[in-house]
Amino acid sequence: MRRSLVVVLLALAPVRLVAQNAVLHGTVRDTTGKPLADALVTVVSAGQAGYTNSKGSYRVGGLTPGPVVVRIELIGFFTRTDTVRIDGDSVRHDVTLRPQRGVLLQDVPQPPTDTVTLPPVVVTAAKRSQLLDQAFTSIAVVPLAQIELRAVNTIDEAVDKAPGVQFLNGQVNIRGSTGYVQGLGSRVLLLVDGVPANQGDRGGISWDLVPLEDIERVEVVKGAGSALYGSAALGGVVNILTRDIPERTHVRARVAGGVYTDPPHPEWAFRSEPGLQQRIDVFASQGFERVRAGVGAGFLHSDGYREQDARDRWHVSGKGRWQSENRLTTLAVSGAWTHDAYDVPLLWCTTGRCDTGGQAYQPFKVDTGGLGDRTVSRKGYLQAVLQRAPSANLRWQVRGSWLRTGFVDYQRSGDDFSNANRLGLEIRGEVHPVGDRTVTTVGVEGTRSDVTSDIFGTHTQGEYAAYGESERRFGAVRVTAGARVDFLAIDGGGLTGVLSPRLGAVFPSRLGATRASVGRGFRAPTLAERFANTVVNGFTVVPNPALEPETAWSMELGHHAVVGPVEGDGAVFWTEADQLIEPSIDPTAIQIQFRNLERARIAGLDLSATAQPVTQLTTSFAYTFLYARELAQPGRPAQSLAFRPRHLLTLSADYRLGPASVGADFRYMSRMERVELFPGDVRVGAKVLDLRAALTRGPLSARLLVANALNYIYTLVPRTLAPVRAVSLSVSWEY
Amino acid sequence: MPARPPRHALRATLALAAAIACDGGLAPSPATGACPAGFTGACGTVTFRGAIPESTQVVYVVAYQQFPQSTGDLLLFQPLAPPVLDLPSGPADTTATYQLALPAGRYEWVLAVWKKIGTLTLSNADSLLREAGFYRNPANPAQPGVLDIAGPRDSVDFVVDFGNMHPVSFYFPASSP
Repeated sequence: MRRSLVVVLLALAPVRLVAQNAVLHGTVRDTTGKPLADALVTVVSAGQAGYTNSKGSYRVGGLTPGPVVVRIELIGFFTRTDTVRIDGDSVRHDVTLRPQRGVLLQDVPQPPTDTVTLPPVVVTAAKRSQLLDQAFTSIAVVPLAQIELRAVNTIDEAVDKAPGVQFLNGQVNIRGSTGYVQGLGSRVLLLVDGVPANQGDRGGISWDLVPLEDIERVEVVKGAGSALYGSAALGGVVNILTRDIPERTHVRARVAGGVYTDPPHPEWAFRSEPGLQQRIDVFASQGFERVRAGVGAGFLHSDGYREQDARDRWHVSGKGRWQSENRLTTLAVSGAWTHDAYDVPLLWCTTGRCDTGGQAYQPFKVDTGGLGDRTVSRKGYLQAVLQRAPSANLRWQVRGSWLRTGFVDYQRSGDDFSNANRLGLEIRGEVHPVGDRTVTTVGVEGTRSDVTSDIFGTHTQGEYAAYGESERRFGAVRVTAGARVDFLAIDGGGLTGVLSPRLGAVFPSRLGATRASVGRGFRAPTLAERFANTVVNGFTVVPNPALEPETAWSMELGHHAVVGPVEGDGAVFWTEADQLIEPSIDPTAIQIQFRNLERARIAGLDLSATAQPVTQLTTSFAYTFLYARELAQPGRPAQSLAFRPRHLLTLSADYRLGPASVGADFRYMSRMERVELFPGDVRVGAKVLDLRAALTRGPLSARLLVANALNYIYTLVPRTLAPVRAVSLSVSWEY
Repeated sequence: MPARPPRHALRATLALAAAIACDGGLAPSPATGACPAGFTGACGTVTFRGAIPESTQVVYVVAYQQFPQSTGDLLLFQPLAPPVLDLPSGPADTTATYQLALPAGRYEWVLAVWKKIGTLTLSNADSLLREAGFYRNPANPAQPGVLDIAGPRDSVDFVVDFGNMHPVSFYFPASSP
């Protein structure tokens, strides 16, 4: 009996093995025959799935014989469902996907057309992939093409041209959120591939953290993003997305050189030789079907455009990615390290503060009190993201990150230093219930920041959060609701809780997509704002451990439309902020302290449009009107918020002719109504014209950039000269 | 044959850019005692009298919206980073120009503050700080001159007399709050 059972089992075993190992494979293409990567192929009845690779090929194993239902999905294309009979070890099933004419209109009857224009896919607004016009918040995308066109040195120079975005001496403002606090306490959250990267001590942003050569695009989400991202996303989110590693040997190299124009007036001459800049960057990678890796390095030297303005910066970076055979599991690891040594021309000099040559001020020379000041800054990050899509209805990811920043300020009055770490962990899930029109994102996140500094002391800050957001379609309308709860703990003390809900909707129609949203944001005080203890201009900066988080309610109503060759977007926005953290002078002592002071209102209008009147010409327009007021309080009259320009205008045009192109950007920023520290100083609006030309031949491309071509002399922050005209030439080679 | 961009669009763009950017931004401004265009605050000359004390660290120019009523009010000066006077190198009477950038408003006291070498605290302010001269009311030179600042205000001239400086306690004796 026992022998008979063994014989039966042996006889059945091959059958079961064959039955469980049948494979469905094939290629997914679009209607033009182009292979489609990253399409999700799901064998619904078996619960097995796989993604297409860069050649459009897929492979789903572990199937049993018989008919199966196969669903093929890719964002921007109509989902296709087929019935396939599995009758052998290997069955081929090739598929063609039909593109949608804008997913926002997928539920609206459309006239037949051959022209397909898809909005870009964004990943930041909802912590998942969606089409740009499915998002209920305003988003600006800076694609690789624009970054390359502008031949910039750091990514902030390209993001600066995005609608509604403005930089003040390296500090980013989205719709007037931050103003200028010398890098302290940014109200904009920086993400690198979705991972938070604001400094652990000051909360500011290091724009040179990610090597420029590794950047694929930047997404800027405007308005309060705390419902998904927590602290620092009070004014918006900037997500730097790095390039994917191609499935081959790949090398990119760029060399660049340039010269700064001398001061436009002889009274301001300050050196006999012109200032120069040079840089070189290299990135090399090797990619296979399942494993890919790359490394990069770069060096930059600049003499600067004013006295005491030299800089030497080098960086190294690396990244790698592993995928399972069915592409359902991915592990991505990346990191970078930057060493930056630069002079600090903090204030320009005025009469009596240096030899001004009889001038009231000399914007190209440094105040004698700051002579010799320089900073050495080191920063780096390491992050790993594990993603898995165990079924077509569920995706999850776990990510861990470490950000290290440190600086030493060498100055006459005594050196200062700070070293900070920011450790982060997040677990996130995305659920698409079968047969439902709902997608839900949930997650938990923890961040621990620590600092060791002679200015900020030795402290830790913990932030722990849970969030959830769900989008549901009602006909053509998408409605999203969600919330996040954050708990903050300083130096291991008690927890302070903050709730950040938000609600939004997108209403598609033949006239475009209308979006509306309301949400609450917050920002926890940084360790620097709580614990700064130093002397500035004779004033003692004293700590304030009792600082509370600042909060804001933001509302937005916007519309996105495509009319002929013109794509336009408009939005009105309104923010009511409370408990804003600002530096305050104590009248009873010679002290400055960060306090929860202001109630403020920031409202405005954001308009942007791109048009292609002829095939070779692309033009764009962006305008932001800003009303930013600090509201009246007892003993404190209402006044304009400092460092917020009322008008911000950007015009761009690029003309392509075969391998050559020419282009220009013009940026106008109205004169600041109010600034701090030197409110009576002469100040003007900014009117900056950048010109560019490019020529591409095979793997080589050369770009000429004339930044601030009009050599317009202006300042955005007190006694700090903005960049003058610079002419640079960069040559890139790609293998 | 590629299409050419509309000429009127190019012309309009160039005209707009030229019109908006016709000025060159900030320009040199000789230190004449007159305020430069676009400036908000007071400008003028300071005439130095007497020998400069060897213990001098710096001489600032500051302004108060209200004449201080207590020692605590002395900290309510503008601007936070006041301009520093270019001190003469010789003993003879000389002048220096200054530009005092101020928020718009009414100012009841514009003065020069002499500071002795040393680290300033609230407790040692009386020994380290001196009033060295102030802008006077042209109609009554014994009284401080009042300024209404709404833009550039020229010719706010006064004398700094190193031989006749007054400590904090001159205005606020120890018995005062």
